[in-house]
Amino acid sequence: MELQERLQELGGSGIGVAAISYDSTEVLNDFAEKRGITFPLLSDKDSAVITEFGILNTVVAEGLGPNRDNPEVVASVHKYVAASVFDSIPLRQMINGTPFPGTFMLDANGRVTSRYFEEFYRERSTTSNILLKAGIGLTPIAAIEGRTAQLKFTAYPSDTSVTNGTRFSLAVDVEPHPNMHVYAPGAEKMGYRVVGFNMNPSELVRFEPANFPESEIYHFEPLDEYVPVYQEKFTLLQEAVVNASAEAEEIMEELDALTLSGSFDYQACDDAICYPPASVPITFTLELEHLDYQRTNQR
Amino acid sequence: MKRSKNQKPRTTILVATLSTLLLGFSMSAIAQSISTIDVDSLGPQVGEYVPNFNLPDQNGQVKTLDSILGPNGAMLLFHRSADW
Repeated sequence: MELQERLQELGGSGIGVAAISYDSTEVLNDFAEKRGITFPLLSDKDSAVITEFGILNTVVAEGLGPNRDNPEVVASVHKYVAASVFDSIPLRQMINGTPFPGTFMLDANGRVTSRYFEEFYRERSTTSNILLKAGIGLTPIAAIEGRTAQLKFTAYPSDTSVTNGTRFSLAVDVEPHPNMHVYAPGAEKMGYRVVGFNMNPSELVRFEPANFPESEIYHFEPLDEYVPVYQEKFTLLQEAVVNASAEAEEIMEELDALTLSGSFDYQACDDAICYPPASVPITFTLELEHLDYQRTNQR
Repeated sequence: MKRSKNQKPRTTILVATLSTLLLGFSMSAIAQSISTIDVDSLGPQVGEYVPNFNLPDQNGQVKTLDSILGPNGAMLLFHRSADW
């Protein structure tokens, strides 16, 4: 589990971790041992806590009820639970009591600060992606570093290994040189190039709208312009999801890695000079893991 | 269509069936009400407190929300199963 690898960073940030499922302590013990997991895997055997949280997957119960053969019920089981691999009543019974999978980030008092639930069961955000989105800095891995006349940047993927349905991010830490600024969303209306990734479209990866941090307003006196900019170090996230369709899965079976190419684009200016828009080519190579349908144990 | 925290799928089906009878909706209208779940609306929302819990971990040690929370909070994951 990829969370295990981030455990030290989480601990260092003063953030506790626990994972809850309906598995018995025996199953969890076995799983923890096989995967070397040291954080608490909590056993909610009768799904009481899952139910109290209000995230019990009721689609499964519906798929076992009187309308279980209704094609629409079957379709929703497929969407929210699993595809044909679980398309049998005994398998539906096995998964009855599971939650809609998701993650809560809590403050020190147990209050939700952010939450991450996926609509499609095949899409799953990685832990590292959640941490980046929650604003918890990660040590960049597989980073591309660049230094231009106007700024310094470090571009890195949240994860170096992905599979079908993985929701991850391409991140870039940008540090404009002193007195320099780059442009934030809104500046395009005044003719400036907004900073960001410009990734080539891929049939295997869907790019989501970029996630920009809050910007500041810069007053450019000569033109009396008020422009949204970044002058201090900031991090920009470009979220992406690996295609989870059967067709994509088939294509990816033949691949060991996903190559994502594009550029990091920006325009930088200072009080005196406005430099032309720049485009730095970048390529990320992510290892492709293949889905493992093997069960670790009999429940 | 949004659903409340305590979902009652059967009620939804019943209501949908009634409206089919009354308004002559097609089967796909029922389908819409059954299969659209706004997962973001389920469970504690941003700013709300999560319920406390008392659960054994993989070593049989009982953990509570308080014992999981660090000085800066916690990350609480719900997943389907470690078994499959």
